[in-house]
Amino acid sequence: MDTDNKDNPNPTILNASDLPTRQRDAHAAKRPSLFDALTQDAYPNYATTDLSSPEASDDSDSDSDPREEIDEQEIYDLISTISDPEHPTSLASLAVVNLPDIFITRPASSTSRLSTVKVLLTPTTAHCSLGTVIGLAVRVRLEQALPPRFRIDVQLKEGTHTTADAVNKQLADKERVAAAMENGTLVGVIRNMLATCE
Amino acid sequence: MSDIQQYLYEVDKHKAAAKDVAQNSARKLESKELKLINLITDLEPYINAKDDAGRRSNSIAYLADVLDAVSPRVLSGQERRLLVDFILNRLESDTEGTGSSARALLALERLGKWDSTLAQRVLQTFADHANPLKQFKLQSERYAILQLIDLLMAKYRTALQSLHDSDQNLLPSFIALFEGEKDPRNLMIVFSVLQVPLAEWDVHAYARDLFDAVFNYFPITFKPPPDDPYGITAQDLKDRLKGCIAASGECAPYAFPALLDKLDSTAMNTKRDVLHTIQACVVSYEPKTVNLYSVTLWDALKFEILAAQEEDLVNEALKALALIATAFSTGMDGPLTAYLRPIVKECNEHLEDAPTTQSRAAGRILHAVSSAAPVVADRIVKGILPTLFTLFKSSESIAKRRGLIEVLNEILKAYIDMHASGDALIVEELKSHSSDALEVMLRAAVSAPKAEVSFRLASLNGLVQLTAIPKLLSDEEVERTVDAVTDMVLNEHTTGHGDIRGEAIAALTEMAHTVPQTVRSKAIPAMMVDLPDSPSDDTSYRATLEALARLSTETEIFDTIVVRLKSRLNAARHHQASMSYQHALLLALLYAFTYGSPLQEDGAVRSSYFGDYAEPPLALIKEAAPESRDSAETEIVGRITNILLRSQTPHYQSTVYRTSLQWLIDEQRTKCASVQSLAPLSLHYFAALRPEVVEPTDVHNLLKTLGNLLLDGTNTDASTSVLLRHITLLINKFLPAKSMQASLQDAELDVTRLLTSSPTQQQIHISLAITKALILLGKTSALTSTYLHLLLDLLPTASAPTARAFATLLAPDALLSKANHCAISPLHKQRTFALLTQPLLASLKIAEPSKKQPYLLALAGILQHIPYTVLQPSLPELVPPLLQVLDLPTSQSTAQDVKPPILAILEAALLHDPDTLSEHASSLISRLLTCASPPPKPKPVSAASQPTVTPSTTTAPPPVNSAAVRAKALQCLTLLPTHLKREVVLPFRRQIIRKLVPSLDDSKRSVRTEAVKCRGAWMGMEEEAAE
Repeated sequence: MDTDNKDNPNPTILNASDLPTRQRDAHAAKRPSLFDALTQDAYPNYATTDLSSPEASDDSDSDSDPREEIDEQEIYDLISTISDPEHPTSLASLAVVNLPDIFITRPASSTSRLSTVKVLLTPTTAHCSLGTVIGLAVRVRLEQALPPRFRIDVQLKEGTHTTADAVNKQLADKERVAAAMENGTLVGVIRNMLATCE
Repeated sequence: MSDIQQYLYEVDKHKAAAKDVAQNSARKLESKELKLINLITDLEPYINAKDDAGRRSNSIAYLADVLDAVSPRVLSGQERRLLVDFILNRLESDTEGTGSSARALLALERLGKWDSTLAQRVLQTFADHANPLKQFKLQSERYAILQLIDLLMAKYRTALQSLHDSDQNLLPSFIALFEGEKDPRNLMIVFSVLQVPLAEWDVHAYARDLFDAVFNYFPITFKPPPDDPYGITAQDLKDRLKGCIAASGECAPYAFPALLDKLDSTAMNTKRDVLHTIQACVVSYEPKTVNLYSVTLWDALKFEILAAQEEDLVNEALKALALIATAFSTGMDGPLTAYLRPIVKECNEHLEDAPTTQSRAAGRILHAVSSAAPVVADRIVKGILPTLFTLFKSSESIAKRRGLIEVLNEILKAYIDMHASGDALIVEELKSHSSDALEVMLRAAVSAPKAEVSFRLASLNGLVQLTAIPKLLSDEEVERTVDAVTDMVLNEHTTGHGDIRGEAIAALTEMAHTVPQTVRSKAIPAMMVDLPDSPSDDTSYRATLEALARLSTETEIFDTIVVRLKSRLNAARHHQASMSYQHALLLALLYAFTYGSPLQEDGAVRSSYFGDYAEPPLALIKEAAPESRDSAETEIVGRITNILLRSQTPHYQSTVYRTSLQWLIDEQRTKCASVQSLAPLSLHYFAALRPEVVEPTDVHNLLKTLGNLLLDGTNTDASTSVLLRHITLLINKFLPAKSMQASLQDAELDVTRLLTSSPTQQQIHISLAITKALILLGKTSALTSTYLHLLLDLLPTASAPTARAFATLLAPDALLSKANHCAISPLHKQRTFALLTQPLLASLKIAEPSKKQPYLLALAGILQHIPYTVLQPSLPELVPPLLQVLDLPTSQSTAQDVKPPILAILEAALLHDPDTLSEHASSLISRLLTCASPPPKPKPVSAASQPTVTPSTTTAPPPVNSAAVRAKALQCLTLLPTHLKREVVLPFRRQIIRKLVPSLDDSKRSVRTEAVKCRGAWMGMEEEAAE
């Protein structure tokens, strides 16, 4: 069995229903009623003067609503589905990625547009040799998915890993990250990890 | 030239001619022209041709062909006997032509049955002198011999078995016979031949040899050639091989170790075959044989589950474990104990560090094994539950407790599965733990922190299962459980994370099935308390009412719920409760009858519901004055009427039409003011009626009234829509197709008249509604086509909303359905597409760019309702206009409306016919990018006061499409890299990845999500190139 050479053959797995999901906006107290479908005809009314289709009137899509800012949950949703390199499970269900460990700093001054996303990772074991790979994958994912006004900072959470400092240094070093992404095997591993991302 | 000479002359060149010769000889034998003795004598020199093996072989082939062609009863028993002797004697000294000898023997056997001695001798001769078969290089030759042996096995089984019993040397040479066979057709026979001694003979001494002979072929890795004429699949071979291995328990000492050895293979297919074979062995070997290996099997199989690799392998391993338990479930107490002991021990160990992958695996193992038989489940409960509850009580960790409850649920599920398949459960042992389980789960469900969703859900699930196992809980315990779940439904007001009311309602619905009496007597009354006669505000009752409505999906409590709702509705009316409350109660009834499980009779919903639930509110509407009728209520009552009436018999409907609802027709005829207030009811009522029930004059009058009312033009938007739908419905259902135009003229609804000289909006909409009815009907093609062309003639000068209204023609309307007895031509979409597309495309070709918009909108309105398969053949002509639709100015709401369905068509085209789009790749990409581009980003709030230079403010604001359009455009764009040819899209890659960056910062989250996916798809392309 190849379980023997995994760093942690039997990790704790979080139940999917306990993972944080986007909450309904508090002000959207008017949740749709069970009976709505009974009276709202799908039949469009072309005979009226105001032609608003059902799609356009869908409250969440209306452009008149205020902008939906990129928040911690959105970052979480981007990286939670990355697969662990040694288990067929997502980083979220292994609790490697946790919502409270994601921090967004808005632009500090009025002249700056730069926000910072900081993600702290919790490896499944303190000696997990794949910490760097996971960090790299999270970094790559965020670089691909976030607009350029975000600075990305991925670290191992303090006290969760025996070589956290070394790994953090590696993850913060742009040149080393770029060099790592030249490595074909590593790129392959990361691609597989990201393959489960929607 | 004798026949044999002729045969030998032809055989190598013209097989068919040679066959003719042989058939000719057979005919001569029959007509006595030729005597058998002469035939043999003629054969003699060739059959004994010392130096020419080919010739000897061919002469036997001649004999086989002749015998094959000869009719029964031509040869006497003695002659046949002599021939068999002759062939067998020859075999002993000359193996040339053994295949033909086998064919000859097969033919002789067909002509007359053999006795045991002869059958034995045939087998013996082949075993002694044709051994091994692999010496015969031709597949067909070995095939003939195998067929002969197969025949012997099939017809002379006892004879062969007694031969084996008397001669211990037979079996080794018999086994050796097949050694080295590789042809799949031959192997099919070999496996089925070898299965006979394995299954029926005493093979103890040679079990190992027999087993090796078959297991050599394990695992089968055969792949049939592409156009295999024989149709043998790998699965056929696997099944036969599996049958052999499982045939004799004597093989167990060799089979199990060998199989478990192969289980360590890294090839998934091999593992799969091993697991299937183990299952077959466990089923067919004697339980006492399986007993010897049960623990060994467990030790190996458990790894497949604990260190899961592929889900189907896990399931097969679980099935194998269950089958072993099943084998011991009838009177094999000792073996069962021995087998379960290590399972219980191991699973208990995994429970200690729950919740882990392995504790979950332990749960699955326990479920699978417990499901084997009630007695097994009883043992598992005895072994596991004490540890499980000790662990539960000794831990404070909610995660751990959740893991333990999940394992417990797995075991309970086994009971429910067995109960469902009709097994008589043994609940004694479980009963001794049931109150423990109930307490633990009730406490978890009721008092655990609301945020512990999985813990509470697991407990809820457990409670449902506990109540579903018959005779487990006491009545009092069931009541407590139902009360607790009802309480969750009624009194939990958590929103967002932690809201499990939906699941609680589902749980209560399941309980309504297993313990309906308690739900009826406890849950429903408790819920009714939450529904006052007259509530003080509008939100307090809603959740409870919705819960009740959802419970109506369980037949057992359906009637209770609707009776209670009705009495509450009456009380609400009596207390003059708010209209919104009364509507909500009516809607709950409507929901129950629409989505719930009302009782049926004669294949339709029970007719008495109509009298009980539709007639009382109908009577109220009847009594109300036209101006005091509430249109929402009228509509809900109309819908209830529809759903309860439409499946009733013509007789029943007729009675309703002439008696209890006669007033509706009368009032619509006499009081013009009533028509509008009654329209929502009338629409749904007429939708329910069968065409033959209705009086033609009533329809005629009503159509006239509706038309006049619409032309008045003083209606609200909503009522206009109802009136138009009503017209469509009446024309489609009740006007005779044969005299359609005359009927329409009578009703003043002839489109030719309506559309003369600059028609009003109302006239156009009525015309569309009428034409829609005819399109669906599909029986008035000339008239439909005239009307459609009249409508098309409007387009050059049509406003955007008018052009957009063409979408009405094919827009699906839930009311116009078969269930509502409408006439729906199955080909109406195809026909309309064919009628309208060509003229529209032609007009588009010649129209000036500024005049194209009405055509594009009308075309889009038609296409959006056409199934992709219908428009697919015309795709090449349609793509350019489709792309032009995407160019329509974003400022118009009509254009915003029409883009998402058009993008959906392009998406389908990308998925199914990417090649058609390839040539348009460049224009498609640029339009999709334009459609996807996000609204200009507002400047950061803090920076709003002092203008800073940001890219978005330097240029004019780009045109912005709605979020729906942006998201859909991105979805289409995502498909390009994977669906169009690489060389087509690669040149755009860089540009697109760059241009998608702003979309990553779109103001809408849903659009951003699509942008991330889209960008990922394009970025993924380069990586492929690197490989």
